[in-house]
Amino acid sequence: MRIVIGEDLFLLREGLVRLLTAHGFEIAAAVGSAPELLRALVDERPDVGIVDVRLPPTHTDDGLRAALAARSQVPGLPVLVLSQYVEQLYARELLADQAGGVGYLLKDRVFNDETFTAAIRSVAAGGTVLDPEVVSKLMVRHSRTEPVTRLTPREREVLALMAEGRSNAAIGQRLFITEKAVSKHAAGIFAKLDLTPSEDDNRRVLAVLAYLGS
Amino acid sequence: MYYEILVVTLVVWSYVLTAWCYRTSADPAGSADPAGSADPAGSAGPRPASLRGLIRARGWGLLLIPVALAYAALAQVNGGNHLVILAGIALAGVVMAFFPRLAAKIVPYGLLVLGVYGLVLAKWFHDGDYSQVLYGLALAGAGSWRTHLVLPQAAVFFLAGLWLLLRVQAPGAEQVRALVAKWRHSGRGGIAPGQRWLLLPVVALLMELLGPRDWFGTDWITGAGVVDIDIVVGLAGLVLVFRSRVWAATLAEAGLLVFGVYGLLILELGTVVTGYAYGLAALATTGGHLVISGLQGAVLLTLGLWLVPRVMVEHLAGPVDPELAARAQQLTQRVESLTQTRSDAVDTAVSELRRIERDLHDGAQARLVALGMSLQAAERLFATSPSAALALVTEAKETSSRALADLRGLVRGIYPPVLADRGLADAIRALALDSPLHTVLDIDLPGEPEMPVAAAVYFSVAEALANVSKHASARSVRIQLSYATGMLRAEVTDDGAGGADPARGTGLAGVERRLATFDGILAVSSPPGGPTIVVIEVPCALSSAKTSSC
Repeated sequence: MRIVIGEDLFLLREGLVRLLTAHGFEIAAAVGSAPELLRALVDERPDVGIVDVRLPPTHTDDGLRAALAARSQVPGLPVLVLSQYVEQLYARELLADQAGGVGYLLKDRVFNDETFTAAIRSVAAGGTVLDPEVVSKLMVRHSRTEPVTRLTPREREVLALMAEGRSNAAIGQRLFITEKAVSKHAAGIFAKLDLTPSEDDNRRVLAVLAYLGS
Repeated sequence: MYYEILVVTLVVWSYVLTAWCYRTSADPAGSADPAGSADPAGSAGPRPASLRGLIRARGWGLLLIPVALAYAALAQVNGGNHLVILAGIALAGVVMAFFPRLAAKIVPYGLLVLGVYGLVLAKWFHDGDYSQVLYGLALAGAGSWRTHLVLPQAAVFFLAGLWLLLRVQAPGAEQVRALVAKWRHSGRGGIAPGQRWLLLPVVALLMELLGPRDWFGTDWITGAGVVDIDIVVGLAGLVLVFRSRVWAATLAEAGLLVFGVYGLLILELGTVVTGYAYGLAALATTGGHLVISGLQGAVLLTLGLWLVPRVMVEHLAGPVDPELAARAQQLTQRVESLTQTRSDAVDTAVSELRRIERDLHDGAQARLVALGMSLQAAERLFATSPSAALALVTEAKETSSRALADLRGLVRGIYPPVLADRGLADAIRALALDSPLHTVLDIDLPGEPEMPVAAAVYFSVAEALANVSKHASARSVRIQLSYATGMLRAEVTDDGAGGADPARGTGLAGVERRLATFDGILAVSSPPGGPTIVVIEVPCALSSAKTSSC
């Protein structure tokens, strides 16, 4: 799997290269600024672009904008955006094109290389991966409103994990329940929230996020 | 006798009222504008918008309405013709109160015409033509000393007209001003202030040409003429104008008040006393001439009253330039407020630094120490007990995550990254997204304020939002952000229960202090039953907007 990395801090860039190489990923390019990143993403067409939000030249959200620009030139180009902080605003912008293949994680998620590499693979496969912190903010927003209040605590847990982009299998593993139990919870959630059920994981994530983001 | 008392009472009353009006006023908006109030044009600069300002700006014009009523009552008692006068006074009052610019344009020329008419009349009287017998206090008649009162009065009217013309926005006023400015400023072609007396022969010559024949002729030589006194008084008046505008204006104003009331009295007395004339009115035997006398009197009285506050404020202000005094007061207040807000800003900055230091010390720093210790222990256990070492490394990883989370929280409190990345509008959007409430946004910012202002507004809105979700039992909240005429305005409106006390709690007080550093203000309106509205206003300039396109 070919990867382009956009990260301006040398230590972190090298750390990512080392980590990903160790997990068998191929690094197509590792660059340190937004213009270079945009060029690399468009030219290399990697399976995933791993992008730091804050990059030169202006050191604001250049990385994010480069990723969005690359996706507008190459629709559906998978990007996994990393940041020291997460904002729902940025998550919305990344999800706006509904094309999938988007990830948005805090940088410290790199510490857990299993979930990190799983996230990379999920994004590469066209899935959506959101940081638990973003999801918890989304959940807080709806915690007081109908019909989310009608969900059982377990259903809420499942809803949050679905919003993070996890598959039924991963959710079951996380909550120590069977995959079948997860899909039962999911059906319950979809019924209570009046959403159209979908077997396609990515569609399901987008539906849940669209609901929570409204 | 009755009428004399009325005249004196009216004059004294208007003086006292005006003096009281200006003395008791501690209104900063009003005192910041004495130059405008002293301006007889009533047209320079915007008037204060408050009710008090309106009354102060227009009260003297409105004063004429009680005068009209008093006069109507008086006329009724004497069975006189009062309706025209009543209407005249009231109309003049309304024009001056509500159309000061119009009044300013008309009045100087009216006075000039009246003055010139007096000069002409003086010439007629001198030549023994008594077809018009009255001009103000002057009464024509062979051997009557009052014949000689024509000229000084004419001079007063003329000079008052000229004086006003120099100060108002009337057609031709600019040319007159330029001419006078040339006289008053020494230099090439001009006349030095100390040499103004050189003008006296010029004025005397003008009077000789305009005035009655032979002023410097037989009368002067034979010593029979007392007309020369008129010239002296007229010139004295002119000098007075050049030496002291204030006292010349006072003279004009007093003259106008007296002549005005006098003209009104003719209307009453004309039917019983024959042989009167007054200005344009001839022998006061017919109703038409009586009305003309009354109208003239009304006009003069109106002018006099119009001058009262303008002249009074000059007297009250003393020798100090009112503009300078106002400026000094403004600056003093500004220094006081800046001293206060600077000290607040320093205090806030110091306590912020203390908080950051404490948070770092107890949070990230402590966690990094723990991290180092875990790694150290793991290193030691690596050879002997790999599984224990692995557990320690896992723990170290979690500790570093928590250290990062601590730092993230801290950074958000110092300068939120989204604000740095995207500017105020998007930062407020992000804030709204993070709020558990339903938020409606109405953001219209043509640009981006300076970073410190943006941060102050951001944290103010954040605090307001936090208060809403904590206390207001609100379901939705509306955030408006707009910019107009140099003022950045944020408004947070919730649909909660209201009744919030802004004095309670330190959050909003802190916000207020923070905003004050930028001359910003915070206002809270929270009637019981809601809605609660928090308004934040900061004067600032905007730079070109940040764009979110790549």
